[in-house]
Amino acid sequence: MFVNIKDLSFKYPNATTHCLESFNLTIQKGDITTILGESGSGKSSLLRLVAGLEMPEKGSISVDDQLMAGPSTFVQPEKRGIGMVFQDYALFPHLKVEDNITFGLHKWTRKEKKQRLNEVIELVNLKGYEKRYPYELSGGQQQRVALARALAPKPKLLLFDEPFSNLDADLQLKIREELRRILKATGVTSIFVTHDQDDAQALADQIVVLRDGKIIDLGTPRDIFGTDCDFSDRIAVKPRVLSKV
Amino acid sequence: MWLLKGVNVLNWFRNIKSNWNTWTILSILFIVIILLPSLSIILQFAAETNENWLHIKEYMLNTYIVNSVILVLFVGLFTAIIGSSLAWIISAYDFPLRGFFQWGLILPLAIPPYIGAYTYHGILNYTGVIQTTLRNQWDITVNQQYFNIMNMPGAIFIFVIFLFPYVFTITKAFLARQSTALIENARILGTSSWRIYYRTVLPIARASIVAGVSLVILEVLNDYGVVKYYGIQTFTTAIFQTWFGLGDLDSAIKLSGTLMLLILGLLVLERVLRGRKRFSFTTTKVRLLQPVKLQGKRKWLAFGYCMFVFGIAFIIPFIQLIYWAMLTYDQSFSVEFLQVIGNTIGVAFVAAAIITIMAVVISNVSRLNRGLFSKVFPKVTILGYSIPGAVIAVGVVSLFIGLDKQIYEWGFTSSYILSTSIVMLIFAYIVRYLAVAYNSVESGFERIGTQFTDASRILGNNVTKSFFKVDIKLIRGAIFGGFILAFIDILKELPLTLILRPFNFETLATNAFNYATNEMIHEAALPSILIICISAISIYAFHHVLERE
Ligand SMILES: Nc1ncnc2c1ncn2[C@@H]1O[C@H](COP(=O)(O)OP(=O)(O)OP(=O)(O)O)[C@@H](O)[C@H]1O
Ligand SMILES: [Mg+2]
Repeated sequence: MFVNIKDLSFKYPNATTHCLESFNLTIQKGDITTILGESGSGKSSLLRLVAGLEMPEKGSISVDDQLMAGPSTFVQPEKRGIGMVFQDYALFPHLKVEDNITFGLHKWTRKEKKQRLNEVIELVNLKGYEKRYPYELSGGQQQRVALARALAPKPKLLLFDEPFSNLDADLQLKIREELRRILKATGVTSIFVTHDQDDAQALADQIVVLRDGKIIDLGTPRDIFGTDCDFSDRIAVKPRVLSKV
Repeated sequence: MWLLKGVNVLNWFRNIKSNWNTWTILSILFIVIILLPSLSIILQFAAETNENWLHIKEYMLNTYIVNSVILVLFVGLFTAIIGSSLAWIISAYDFPLRGFFQWGLILPLAIPPYIGAYTYHGILNYTGVIQTTLRNQWDITVNQQYFNIMNMPGAIFIFVIFLFPYVFTITKAFLARQSTALIENARILGTSSWRIYYRTVLPIARASIVAGVSLVILEVLNDYGVVKYYGIQTFTTAIFQTWFGLGDLDSAIKLSGTLMLLILGLLVLERVLRGRKRFSFTTTKVRLLQPVKLQGKRKWLAFGYCMFVFGIAFIIPFIQLIYWAMLTYDQSFSVEFLQVIGNTIGVAFVAAAIITIMAVVISNVSRLNRGLFSKVFPKVTILGYSIPGAVIAVGVVSLFIGLDKQIYEWGFTSSYILSTSIVMLIFAYIVRYLAVAYNSVESGFERIGTQFTDASRILGNNVTKSFFKVDIKLIRGAIFGGFILAFIDILKELPLTLILRPFNFETLATNAFNYATNEMIHEAALPSILIICISAISIYAFHHVLERE
């Protein structure tokens, strides 16, 4: 398995309850996995653990046969080769779009950087915006810069933390399809966190439903939402209700 | 069972290993350095007592405590009233020159109280401008008693007029942002201004008023110049006296320890008074309070009050100092004086730069780590600011003499080198003023959060690289602000500098103070004016930088 999370537990130091408990998940290479769950269910925490921004209390995480976190191992985030698109993008406000995108390209020659920049700019459809600053872009454009920045260093694994939550509904629909196209085109393995079941359904090869830090359901979109999309009650919370929390 | 324990131990090692980088090690080192002088006092506090101390305890200690308590009580009370009422008037009403008073009423902070103290003495004494004018113009000779400011009420007056801006600024910032809904409600209900002030403003701004007053009190307890000049016996004068008068460092340490206990009590009291309210913004949408335009008599009443305070606390002493400086300009301006300026700026610059770097390192570690670091570090940096300069000086000297003895015994040197060098003074500045820069840097980090650092690390930069490529670029203003604040404080600093400066090393502050204590008030004006101007310019710049951010 490409991503292998085993028996993962995690708790914030000042919290009384566990944020994730005995969490297990495997992901195949090239697949898009969505984590679906209500607010506070531990989705962001899971991504931060995979990225190396938090340290697990128990269990292990390995990516591409490399152990990232285990009882006596902890690989720092900068050494993991994992990309991430943040909920509010976290574009560096003091850098132009092009510098944001090439920020993660260390030890590349100038020519290689230029070439890679053009490739990803093309991919996310942002030609002509290279010289702007993040605050001179619309929400959707910022979101695509964030995606380009994460894709540029060719990460093994790409993490998305509700990247659509700041966009309006129309734009979400458009970008969702575009995102699937881009991800499939690059063949990158990705984990996509959302509380919107439409997102989950449209994007995913595999869906994980999370509640209070535990998996309550797992399967293909078809398994989860039923063959004819009649939103069977396999998940305890009605999907429609779930989508708007 | 043992397996479970094994896993925990492994985890523990892993956590230590991955948090244990240069930043952490440096900041732990810095924290230890900051703690050393206080530890040195605490350790020696319990040491055996000598005769001097018994004498002090028997006959003097009560006076010190009573005088300090009287000063603290009255200064605290009056600064609370003046500071909060000015803050209220300026935030809630519009009247002539309001925009100017917004920062003009901070300016009295540029005048160190000891300078204010001898300036007012010079204005009011027999040869001063008031009595001379009365005598020469109207042939009136007044009862000297009414014009004697060198007593307890005089000292209270001096502290109040030059320290109230602490309460004013903190309360004003609070009122402008936090209280809009409450005050507007009270207005709609037709409550009178006076009632709004004491029924609504005072209670909701309690936390910020207490915070401002506690800064004022720390300054009062830190002061040496005013009380020495006005002849009031307090802890700081006593520490100086036992140390230099009697040459008794041990008793000075005992006095320092007692004062530290007193301050500890005060800080606990502050906690209690402030209650559970912190200054954090509970609502994300900050709505600014709209000032109401005043008409007629009320307009001039508000203006008159602000102008009166500003006049007494800034204009009068400032003009008097300029006049004196012009009288003595040609005598006091010399090559030696240029040397003094160079010393002052040089030592303040070096110390403030080191302080800023330390503040950045410590606050970066405490923000990126959870748990112990993030809780303990900020507290320790505050410690130095709570401890009066004279006490820090005692701690630093006893520490450095101990070090020197060691080095001497090891045979590296033939005399005491550390305790006679400028290193000791800079070290003491760092201990005392780290908190000033730390607060500024920390608020900068708080504003940007950790998301940019997270993003940078995920893109392959370690903590250090991320800091230089991202963080530092985003908090430049806060870092610079911290540097400036520390720089001004060091520029004005008196007690530490008096005690710890190397032989023949003069700063503007010691220069001014020495002239004044030698009854050469006019000659003291030039260095004083320089201190005030540099501080005032920095305050102005800082205020405007803050406004823009
Ligand atoms: N820094 C923190 N310290 C303590 N507890 C935290 C911290 N961050 C999150 N938590 C808690 O951990 C739990 C999971 O939070 P997490 O951010 O992973 O939820 P989420 O599923 O991403 O929610 P959302 O959809 O609102 O982003 C919540 O109960 C939250 O209160
Ligand atoms: Mg989240």
